[in-house]
Amino acid sequence: MATNTLDYDPGFRNGRFRVAWYALLAVLLAVGGWATWRRISVGMASTNLTSISPWGAWVAFYIYFVGLSAGAFLVSTLANVFEVEGLEKIDRDALFAAIVSMVVALLFVWTDLGRMDRMYHPFLYRQATSALSWEVHAYVAYIGVLVTELYFSMRIDLARVAEETEGWRAKLCGLLTLGRRETSDESHETDERWLKRAGLLGIPLAVFMVHGGTGVLFAVAKARPYWNSGLFPVIFVISAVVSGTAMVSALYVLRAKLLTGERLDRALMDRLGKLLAGFIAADAAFTAIDALIALNSLHPHEVETWLIVLFGEMSWSFWWFMVGCGWVLPLILLSKRSWRRSPVPLTAAGLSVVAGIVAVRFNIVVPPQILPVMEGLPHGSYFPTAIEWLTSAGMIAVGLLIYSLGAEVLPLRPLDAPEPTGATGGGGEENSADQTTPAAADGGIAETGGDDR
Amino acid sequence: MSRADGSEAASVPSVPDADVLDGMVDDEAPDPREELAKTEYRTDLGLAMAEDAKRVAKGELSGDAYWEKYDEAAEAEFGDDYRETPNPAIDADGARQTVSRETAENLGCSVGSMASVAESMASEAGAEGEAGDAPAGDEKWGMVIDLQKCVGCDSCTVACKAENRTPPGVSYNVVMEEEHGEFPNVTRTNVPRPCMQCENPPCVQVCPVSATYKMDNGVVNVDYDRCIGCRYCMIACPYGARYFDFGDNYDDEVIGSGEVTSPEYGVDRGPREDGKSPVGNVRKCSMCMHRLNRGEEPACVETCVGDARNAGDLNDPESEVSELAESNRSFQLKESEGTDPNVYYLK
Repeated sequence: MATNTLDYDPGFRNGRFRVAWYALLAVLLAVGGWATWRRISVGMASTNLTSISPWGAWVAFYIYFVGLSAGAFLVSTLANVFEVEGLEKIDRDALFAAIVSMVVALLFVWTDLGRMDRMYHPFLYRQATSALSWEVHAYVAYIGVLVTELYFSMRIDLARVAEETEGWRAKLCGLLTLGRRETSDESHETDERWLKRAGLLGIPLAVFMVHGGTGVLFAVAKARPYWNSGLFPVIFVISAVVSGTAMVSALYVLRAKLLTGERLDRALMDRLGKLLAGFIAADAAFTAIDALIALNSLHPHEVETWLIVLFGEMSWSFWWFMVGCGWVLPLILLSKRSWRRSPVPLTAAGLSVVAGIVAVRFNIVVPPQILPVMEGLPHGSYFPTAIEWLTSAGMIAVGLLIYSLGAEVLPLRPLDAPEPTGATGGGGEENSADQTTPAAADGGIAETGGDDR
Repeated sequence: MSRADGSEAASVPSVPDADVLDGMVDDEAPDPREELAKTEYRTDLGLAMAEDAKRVAKGELSGDAYWEKYDEAAEAEFGDDYRETPNPAIDADGARQTVSRETAENLGCSVGSMASVAESMASEAGAEGEAGDAPAGDEKWGMVIDLQKCVGCDSCTVACKAENRTPPGVSYNVVMEEEHGEFPNVTRTNVPRPCMQCENPPCVQVCPVSATYKMDNGVVNVDYDRCIGCRYCMIACPYGARYFDFGDNYDDEVIGSGEVTSPEYGVDRGPREDGKSPVGNVRKCSMCMHRLNRGEEPACVETCVGDARNAGDLNDPESEVSELAESNRSFQLKESEGTDPNVYYLK
């Protein structure tokens, strides 16, 4: 721990990478902004949605990001509630990513409303029997819990930064301590106690309300037999944990490489890799059970919907993305101990799952809206328009921007935990393995030191 | 009958000439003096007003001059009836006002539109119970559709679109037409599908803002001013009876297609405009509640060529719909869903 001055600089290690990264985000935001303007001025006619298939890409991304958030949050509770060794390093990162995911999820729901101007109505008018009415309130409470947790998890380091460094970051961190600037062990214990309490409150909220509840939202739709199953909300929670663990694993490695330059904790990577593989296996198993129950029911609507998923026009999204990227590829990458402990396979597995779960969400939302609810009504057919894709890209870019800015400013990695590698020297053997992810590849560089700032 | 009238008429067989026709009209027309004598009011005033009204119609006299001439006399003759009844010539500066504002302000009669005159007549009729078909207010509206009588002509769908002035992509009533069997043993069933106005509506269950709700009269209402357009109700409806209003219109096909809208659920929303409800909302059949409230049948029922559709009060055990709904041919769509529709079908 720093004695008199703290070497606090959590920003990108490579200035060129930072420029390239923010330039990419700026392009995505500009395109997304244009698409959003089109969506607002043209209205819902800018989508390929119809009265037969009223929910599409925005709903799929909404449940995707709710799942990502719930999953990342549950990973954080492994650290701050269940005290799994080593995971405290990713606690804040997971919480912050959970908050950002939730913000993005709400952006998607907002964009999806036919009357965006009435987004506050669910807080004025309620319906006790509506899962969606409960969900909206649960999301707000959940964001409250996440912010509370992040505060108690990070406060002591915010105080340290405010005390021991100078400049705008110190001032900002000072503000974020909300006036509690002690750095004593006692104050740390108080924080830990409240963190645990908030986490205990958050677990049922996340499992039963936020993500289980989002599953319930679909499962109660009796008119859509494909969703109308008791197993459905359970699968929702499991796939959420899969995507959350995958995201946190990838973030851990990417952050160490791109931002902090800390030495990777191989044991932690191994633990994350094992967790991820276990969750993937559970997800695949439960999905298989769900499919078997549906196919055995011989209920025509359910059987036909599954046949559409497995062999229909869009079955490539099931086989290549959901099964390939979501299950098979990551399980292969995580199968060997040495692979789990090296950054490339772990990050690749994480990002592969994060992409694969997108297909999971699309395959939840779209297929049951292809077959009409009454024989004799027209069949649906849906693929998102360019406007839908581009608005989605823009909203995701908003999330990436918030995360990047937060990661550059906030002490999301505990200050006393890492042993910073020499800021200029750069190289452990882990750095040479850096070329894997496209992001790292074009940022280049860890071994050049990457310190042009 | 008019062969003898001349050679010109003879060249156009069986069409009498204009003078003969005018004479026939005059023969049939009642004598104004006799008619007015039957009332308690002044015959001479009535005749004079009628004569001048004809001159107004021909453009020989202005509306202003006409009302200035007769305002006092009419007030003296008809008293409160004149003062309290809205004068259709004065539409409160609306499009149908036929007199100038100065004249309108000087007149002793009250101001109102043709619509308000019609409304006041309707409400009077309702209050006095003169019109036997005006609803009493304790109904539960329901519908019975006889599938043996339905010929699949789709005229209910057309009448519904005309009555409710629904935009492209929104059709509250559709006819699901299915062919069964193989040639030559082919049968066809036509199942008209309006909103079922369920007793236990799944759409009401899921609406996060209670914008859709069950009314006492059995109709499932949509409050377009509250609906946020989340479309959860469309997901929940087992009958596919709900439609999203994407804001399309028939402007290319019909001039001024959006100028008039239907007063669905009894609310007149004026012309259809972009960004204004119900654009961006979910819509569905209201069983023509606005017509039922006036004592009329829903448009689909009125138009049905085979008399396959019946609407009425399910609370009244004597009503035709109640008796038909009790018939052993009667069934509901997707009974296993537990929605208990108020629309019944006869096998």
